[in-house]
Amino acid sequence: MKKVLPFIKTVKLGDVLIIFMLMGLIIFIINKSWNTPIGQYLKIEKNNEPPKIISLNQIKEEEIAGLLGDSNISIVDGKARFSKAPCTKKYCIHQGWINKVNQTIVCLPNQITISITDGSESYDSVNY
Amino acid sequence: MVVRAMTPLTIKTNTEDHFIAKLAAIAIVLSIIEFFLPSPIPGVKPGIANIIILYTLVKFNLQTAVWVSLIRVFVSSILVGSLMAPTFFLSLFGAISSLIFLFIFQKLPKKYFSVISLGIIAAFGHILGQFFIARIWVIPHDSIFNLLPLFLISSLIFGVLSGFITDTLLEHKTNRLPN
Repeated sequence: MKKVLPFIKTVKLGDVLIIFMLMGLIIFIINKSWNTPIGQYLKIEKNNEPPKIISLNQIKEEEIAGLLGDSNISIVDGKARFSKAPCTKKYCIHQGWINKVNQTIVCLPNQITISITDGSESYDSVNY
Repeated sequence: MVVRAMTPLTIKTNTEDHFIAKLAAIAIVLSIIEFFLPSPIPGVKPGIANIIILYTLVKFNLQTAVWVSLIRVFVSSILVGSLMAPTFFLSLFGAISSLIFLFIFQKLPKKYFSVISLGIIAAFGHILGQFFIARIWVIPHDSIFNLLPLFLISSLIFGVLSGFITDTLLEHKTNRLPN
């Protein structure tokens, strides 16, 4: 108790106010940034090829030919995952299912990236 | 050929410069110690050099604090070996933004706000500045904001702690600067 006492003596009303305000701000930011909406489309990107966008509202087993061989991407219940990969460590498979906007799985050895989008794609660049 | 005698180069310094040098030296040592501290999450650091900046701000003025802070950023990055690397710019912009926040909030009435408020504000400013530069330049993707709550929580905790330590330093019986 003797050790806590100087701390209580130091703290003033405004400090407590600031601490509570910032706690509120943090909770607001957590709500905003950790609750991303569920996406409707899956974007499949392969090295040097335009991205392929497919709907998540289907049951599908997509086979993509990468650098090493064929990777399988399965779509079930609006979620997507890598189900088969030719790489040795299988990190992409262990990432599991994704369904929220901006969630991404990258398979580096096979050079395939899948990510969830909500259909509103921004431009890479704009030229006038 | 005329050989001229070398005139010794002298720089006039005043007592304020000496205080800046001493405080900056302490801040540099603290940031070097902090560099070697292990951290459970990369990037989450206690920011103990913040204590010296707060102390300088309260004991002297903002101008002195700006000097101490910028000297600390440059010299500690030279010593650690990260000058002109991304970490250096993150640290620099964090320090600048922290000082801007302190400039805005330094006139808070002393009756209701202690140094703890300033500590929290400085820590928050540091994190926000770092995130701004990280989003624009280092990792230009919105997913970086998922990390923001984590860093804000840690900055709140360490801001309160550093504010409290600064207060203890200011209140201490032997509170005088070495001459």
